[in-house]
Amino acid sequence: MKKLTALFLILTMLLSACGGKDTHTPDLSAASWDQIEEAARGTSVTFYGWGGDEDRNNWLASVAAPYMKEHYDITLEVVGMNIDEILAKLAGEKEAGSAAGSIDMIWINGENFYSAKENGLLYGAFLDKLPNTGNYIDTEDPETLNDFCMPIEGYEAPYGRAQMVLYNDSAVTPETPASAQEMLVYCQQYPGKVTYPALPDFTGSAFVRNIVYEICGWEQFQTMEADYDTVKEAIEPALDYLRSLNPYLWNQGRTFPDSSTTVDAMFADGELVLGMSYSPYGVAVGIENGTYTGTTRTFLFENGTIGNTNYMSIAFNSPNPAGAMVVINAMISAELQLSQYEQLRNLPVVSPAKLSGEERAAFDAVDMGQGVLSQEELLTHRLPEMPAKLVPVIEEIWLSEVVGK
Amino acid sequence: MRKKRTAYLLLLPLMGVTALALLACGSVLTQSLGVVPAFGLTEPTLDYYREALTDPAFFSALGVSLRTALLSALAAAALGTALCGALVRLGRDRGPMAYLIRLPILTPHAVTALFAILLLSQTGLLARWARALGLLSEPGAFPQLLFTPSYGGTILAYLWKEIPFVAYFTLALMAGVSRTLGEAAENLGASPLGAFLTVTLPLSLPAVSQAFLIIFLFAFGGYELPLLLGATLPKALPVYAHLAYMHPDLRQRPAAMALYGLILLLSAALAALYGLLTRRLLRRVGGGQ
Repeated sequence: MKKLTALFLILTMLLSACGGKDTHTPDLSAASWDQIEEAARGTSVTFYGWGGDEDRNNWLASVAAPYMKEHYDITLEVVGMNIDEILAKLAGEKEAGSAAGSIDMIWINGENFYSAKENGLLYGAFLDKLPNTGNYIDTEDPETLNDFCMPIEGYEAPYGRAQMVLYNDSAVTPETPASAQEMLVYCQQYPGKVTYPALPDFTGSAFVRNIVYEICGWEQFQTMEADYDTVKEAIEPALDYLRSLNPYLWNQGRTFPDSSTTVDAMFADGELVLGMSYSPYGVAVGIENGTYTGTTRTFLFENGTIGNTNYMSIAFNSPNPAGAMVVINAMISAELQLSQYEQLRNLPVVSPAKLSGEERAAFDAVDMGQGVLSQEELLTHRLPEMPAKLVPVIEEIWLSEVVGK
Repeated sequence: MRKKRTAYLLLLPLMGVTALALLACGSVLTQSLGVVPAFGLTEPTLDYYREALTDPAFFSALGVSLRTALLSALAAAALGTALCGALVRLGRDRGPMAYLIRLPILTPHAVTALFAILLLSQTGLLARWARALGLLSEPGAFPQLLFTPSYGGTILAYLWKEIPFVAYFTLALMAGVSRTLGEAAENLGASPLGAFLTVTLPLSLPAVSQAFLIIFLFAFGGYELPLLLGATLPKALPVYAHLAYMHPDLRQRPAAMALYGLILLLSAALAALYGLLTRRLLRRVGGGQ
């Protein structure tokens, strides 16, 4: 036993010694953009983010990476990883005190941005340094200033926009419920055929927040304290509504599917008659690859649905922040945003007012495919996200007050 | 001396891995006491344990895990021993049959979950066959086994993997006992069943009881099957703990670590309790060494 203790001690010392090296992240606050581009030349940049979307992975590998190589001589290495694991990894590196990390860029937003920023896992303000921020981004847009009500302060740059939409098949159900009340009637009409992903699934969580907005309005939440009792009292009518939905849901609302992927698959199999998605053009993609029938269509609640922006940020211990800035700058250019819009049907983050006539024509010429809504229709029915701190509180309340009740 | 040194050298990799595991346990326990300097948490406290132990959700999760593990391990131990006895009796303890029973053991848990969904769901193969044979009038009449708070589907999936494991684990010992003492008993006039129940089975119990402990602790700490086949509420303890670990607020980390700490302590305590109980029992039936 004594020997084992000794070994344990030696290992602890070895491990902590590994972390003790202090190579500081280069300070770029005084550098000009030309100097930053020069410093980035010939380097490689790692981009960590959710890797569950095959189309996006392909786009990053076949468009974004070659673009960076050609224009800036930067090798872009994309690593698919869930955001909670990325944060756990960064937190581990911070605990170990390692100044030179393994992550440069991170795909992030919402409560994860809040947590990363609060806990010092991010590099700092860099948005104003990027020339394309001035060229293409509307810096007064609330979604450029705040991420789920958390002030961004230049810690992240927009990457793409998403918006909650609902979809069903007009050949199976002719109705498109345009409000929470119509949704209840719809569920009663097709008992056992509607459900939503169990929270804390991203889409399920957004759907429940959307219901909260439907029933309780959205304004009061923008400044609400993340206190369990305060939030519960405010959303009580929405909880009543969700409980009244339960008897008509799949499995009588005793159980909910574990993820949005499962819900999409159940809809494609005909087990469900309605689905929800955070990709407003997902239906067009589904129709093209044969997952959904040609009569599937997207619709919204009349009062609007929650939209949010996802962002790119830089890790606190990024070994190559200059390279990361150059890549992020290129990602918000009209050229790469247009390419994403064409190939991924991702709502662009560039401001139409800042585009040249030619660029705007190129965006307008993109065919979004069947069964989807126009960009204008989406943006005029777009509601802001709640403060990030409220999200886990609502998820907790949902678990104890809605499931099986 | 030489021999000893070689032995120690060969043990080194294992000791290295054990040391790392201990290090990880140490880190879990430190963080569970609320010490995560990177997030400005430095005061050690038992609050996170107190919080977990006063949370009804913790106890319902603990109940799910204990119940699932106990039911699946008990049934698997009984049925696995019977399967083993049958294989030995038929002289199939070696050869193709013995290989066939290893198949479920080698199947990953995620794949097992997929099989369970395909077979056992209300729109699954079994339900469709029952309907085709006219046993059921409508698809909803098939009993709901998956995603229910009773964790029936999870238990069935564990059984599919664990019955062969118990049989495989016990096979060598039971075949040896049966070929020697079991046959001696039969030659002395015992019936085959009598010889099995009074001689072979008691002498094989040490292997069965070890197999039971392994599968019980595995199912108690198991994550995939209850996640994929279980209910939204109550969750199994490891699923509950992992969800807490994934909480976006990193300062909630100690709360999750306290749950992991409790899982570790409970597993160790259950193993120790089991060791005490079985040693006494085995001594009584004469199977203990």
